[in-house]
Amino acid sequence: MLPFLEVFYPQSLIVLIFYRGKVNSMSSTELMTLRENGDINIIEIKTDLSSYAASDLRRMLESLLSQNIGKVVVNLSAVNHINSTAVGALVGVAKRLRQEGGDLKICGLAENLTRTFNLIGASSVVEIYESEKSALAAF
Amino acid sequence: MEKAHISLKIPSDVFYVDLVRAFVGKLAERLKFSRKRGADIQLVLDEICTNAVKHGSSAVTDSIGLCITVDKDTLEILVQDTGSGDAPAGGWITPERLREIEANRSPGSESGHGIFIVKAIADVHEMQCNAAGGTDVRVIFYREG
Repeated sequence: MLPFLEVFYPQSLIVLIFYRGKVNSMSSTELMTLRENGDINIIEIKTDLSSYAASDLRRMLESLLSQNIGKVVVNLSAVNHINSTAVGALVGVAKRLRQEGGDLKICGLAENLTRTFNLIGASSVVEIYESEKSALAAF
Repeated sequence: MEKAHISLKIPSDVFYVDLVRAFVGKLAERLKFSRKRGADIQLVLDEICTNAVKHGSSAVTDSIGLCITVDKDTLEILVQDTGSGDAPAGGWITPERLREIEANRSPGSESGHGIFIVKAIADVHEMQCNAAGGTDVRVIFYREG
């Protein structure tokens, strides 16, 4: 249980969260599932991709790279938020897969996620598809 | 609406950034920002806090301070870090460093996009060094309607 101290003032709220060693929480990898469709691996993500989850995503992608898995589809249709750290992880792995003859394709981006990809320019680096079916067909 | 202040202090750990992002998302909803603008505000907060954790502190026991101010026209968020031992004097984001990050930013880069996103989305954006040797990042969003 996290220790919380809340002090209320009129028109003010002060919240302090104190750190007390390692946090026990559900890993975001539990919300990232991996399945296969022929020689293509599909990662389906069911958690928002902030920096906390991005490190788990990067570990999962690195694990695929180490197993010489070359074709990856990342399905983000259940994701409501993505930050630049997570986009950077996807871009980095896509570039490394391409160097080895594979690729990483993304599908299912909500409007605000598309905007983040466009702002960064990542949509010019990683192929983005509306549906998982179209991403799979693009290999 | 009277001006209201909310102060939060979180450990320098991305685990807590997620919690603050959820809180600010709820606040934006209550302030009747559109769903799209609420997502923008959460993204900006995520990027600023992630930078503060990654570059503006040296240990998880360091604190990241957030001061959120709401009035009838604006939602203002100030994120304060204490600086890391590796960072140059005057905070991690000196004008020179900012120019270097922007010059080196490309769509294929894995990092360096956070500040760009913040500048592109927030209505007002300011960065300056603070007395603790860290960086203050202030963003303002104009309330809709």
